[in-house]
Amino acid sequence: MRLRTLLTTSALALGFAASAVQAAPDRAELMKQHRGGTLKLNAHGSAGTIDPQINYEAEFWQLLYTTNDGLVTFKKVEGKDSNDVVPDLAEAIPSPQDGGKTYVFKLRPGVKFSTGKDVMPSDVVASLQRVFKVSSPTAGSFFNGIVGADDCLKTPATCTLKDGVIGDDKAGTVTVHLTEPDADFFYKMSAVHASILPADTPAKDLGTTPAAATGPYMIESYNPDRGMKIVRNPYFKQFSADAQPDGYVDGIEYNFGLDDQAGVTAVANGQADWTFDDVPTDRLNELGTKYPKQVHVHTLLAYYYVPMNVNLAPFNNVKARQAVAYAVDRKALVGLFGGPNLASPLCQQLPAGMAGHEDYCPFTQKPGAKWTAPDMAKAKQLIEESGTKGAKITLIGDDKAIPKSIATYMQSLLRELGYDVDLRVVSHNIQFTYIQNTNNKVQISVSDWYQDYPAPSDFLGVLFSCASFHEGSDSSINISGFCDKKIDDDMKKAAATAVTDRAAADKMWAQVDREVTDAAPAAALFQPKRVDFVASRVGNFTYSDQIHFLFSQAWVQ
Amino acid sequence: MIRVVLARLGQMAFVMAGISILVFLIFFATPGTDPAARIAGRNAAPEVLAAVRHDFGFDQPLAVQYVLLMKRLFVTGDLTSFVNRGQKVVPSILQAVPVTMSLVVGAALVWVVASVAVGTLACVWRGTVVDKALMILGLIGISMPVFWVGEVANLITQSRYHDTWLFSWVPGLGYVPLTQDPVGWFKALVIPWVALAILFVGLYGRVLRASLVEAYGEDFIRTARAKGLGEGRILFRHALRTSMVTFVSMFGLDFGLLVGGGALLTEVVFGLQGVGYLTYNALQNLDLPVIMATVMYASFFVVASNAAVDLIYAALDPRVRLARA
Repeated sequence: MRLRTLLTTSALALGFAASAVQAAPDRAELMKQHRGGTLKLNAHGSAGTIDPQINYEAEFWQLLYTTNDGLVTFKKVEGKDSNDVVPDLAEAIPSPQDGGKTYVFKLRPGVKFSTGKDVMPSDVVASLQRVFKVSSPTAGSFFNGIVGADDCLKTPATCTLKDGVIGDDKAGTVTVHLTEPDADFFYKMSAVHASILPADTPAKDLGTTPAAATGPYMIESYNPDRGMKIVRNPYFKQFSADAQPDGYVDGIEYNFGLDDQAGVTAVANGQADWTFDDVPTDRLNELGTKYPKQVHVHTLLAYYYVPMNVNLAPFNNVKARQAVAYAVDRKALVGLFGGPNLASPLCQQLPAGMAGHEDYCPFTQKPGAKWTAPDMAKAKQLIEESGTKGAKITLIGDDKAIPKSIATYMQSLLRELGYDVDLRVVSHNIQFTYIQNTNNKVQISVSDWYQDYPAPSDFLGVLFSCASFHEGSDSSINISGFCDKKIDDDMKKAAATAVTDRAAADKMWAQVDREVTDAAPAAALFQPKRVDFVASRVGNFTYSDQIHFLFSQAWVQ
Repeated sequence: MIRVVLARLGQMAFVMAGISILVFLIFFATPGTDPAARIAGRNAAPEVLAAVRHDFGFDQPLAVQYVLLMKRLFVTGDLTSFVNRGQKVVPSILQAVPVTMSLVVGAALVWVVASVAVGTLACVWRGTVVDKALMILGLIGISMPVFWVGEVANLITQSRYHDTWLFSWVPGLGYVPLTQDPVGWFKALVIPWVALAILFVGLYGRVLRASLVEAYGEDFIRTARAKGLGEGRILFRHALRTSMVTFVSMFGLDFGLLVGGGALLTEVVFGLQGVGYLTYNALQNLDLPVIMATVMYASFFVVASNAAVDLIYAALDPRVRLARA
């Protein structure tokens, strides 16, 4: 999303109206033809609580985006536009006031919860308080900029945000005050955690009890061991085709049980319509040849990388880290992930397609824009210069098939560079928090990062800023422990610029990307793609960069 | 008799308490198992992490945490999962029991009938080609791990030959409740039954053959022959009955183990959401409350089946009965 377009509210509203008019007759006709039926989904396991303000799993966000709404949301369309923020329960994207520290949202009149009650400003106030009361995962990272958030983080039970979020039921407005301008504010407000729930929703984790919905569907029942049943929300009337289009199917059944292999087989047999888990690489050939029309491949705003601990030997030496970045054969790693159709080599920290991404690759045979081949000679020379040759290293891998094969590759590579390497493979579920904690003294590991929202700060700021480094904590997402004063200042400047001039800020982020990449706190490996395999009866498969497969847009008859 | 039962119950409680402490300690002693950060979500702020730690009681001493966990599991029954928050553990196990029971009871029927047939036939034709063939087949059955058999069965019936007349009747993987659709229930389970039973057919068939052959060398068989009994009567009333002693004790233990969640691999491969599947998922996610509950459930069945085997022993073998009396 470009903020310039955001600031010109009237233009945006106009553009929105025009697209709605254009799309309306088309959609109505299609809706007549295809409405009905049940979409059958599968996943190996469930993904925890279905409390929209707490769940933080892609598996359920995809679903919760069709059941719940925030004030704003990502546009539910195919392609690049899916990264744009559009008004959802709010009538329009508000213009910034007070230098970007105040936003006044006006709610759409007549939108109802699935309980039959109107969505009111007081519900918005209560929902934003609830984010803190239930210790939402992003309470401290997305919503900490709201005035009063500090107190709410300290004592969640008494959270009021009285000076930060002010609702006026009569005027139908909600005013949000920020402590300082935040360019990513609308992205953060588009997250599922910012869903608006009725004010009387209990201030504790709802667990397996569905929250009231505002979207075309609502969860009827949820059993984490079996499945989930989703039905139409009887009170839903389409209020914005961009923000929350009506759904084609009458219901969705989500089964939990079949693993990735069995899931693909079930889809091939028409027993399921789609499976959440990644398609196993050994099935890709079969799918590509037998069912080419049912396969959809999309680039993900994500990357696999090797974080190196800049505070522990040998990777406290920048040359040792750069040597690893030079030596990595990204083509071989792409092969491990399933080949060039499923991933592309990446040298820098910002993946392609992300705002601020400018092709940059210093760690290759012919440094320039793109990666060509590993430069072992240069890598070995750097290791010699660093004086770290022969150092003892423990590499922490993860037991899932692909990360494990990457870790095995990295072990042999580090050995070739002259290190004495042990590989320790840790359960997938533990590894991510294990490698973050400085107490575990992890030198090097294999990890990945998937975007929360399409802003460069979500990669560079989250993964490499001083603020993301917490010693001795399992939640210290700056795994490398990288904290460079100059780069940190540059990030702050870019973030501040983004509030008024997104394009200029993107240029600055591109510079930060180059600086971080040069300092090599992590060696980027590749950018993955997502393969979706749907049953032959599924029509109108629509893929959003942010939400992925949009369930409400598919039809089965 | 009452004393025996009470002693048994006492032993059971002791064993289960020991296991629960062990599981609890393993969970907390393993580095990286602190669940707070996983519960709080990625990139959670320190304040959020602290709030979650407090809410779940991870800031309390280990002993207190253990007692609270046991209280919520056995007394109040409101223990909830760490991963699927809000999911009550006890009801979710109770709801998984029918799935496991359907699988294990069906498989047990298959393997008891088939292995008695295999063992008896091999003994009757001992030394012949039939005997050798059956024993080799049994050995092959024992050597094939159930997850492999299951995956191959799935490959054939769900993938490669699913569209042929032979396997087009096979429903998609997963469980169909008996009360909802008995035919569907049977169709969904018949392949898992056979897959799970193969190992046991091989094992039990071989064991039964060995004890039958041994029984034929015993004095009481010679006596029966001397009394002029027919071969059929000797085989079924005398030889087979005493040979069943080993068979039954093995069966009791295996059955207990399987009902307790030992059919984990079969359940996972065939997508049957039983107790084993629950255990598997809980182990994958390090979900302590569910691991604890399923381990307690499994140990209960193992201990209980041991006791049951002892009682059946006496009924089957007059010598055991006499020795006790």
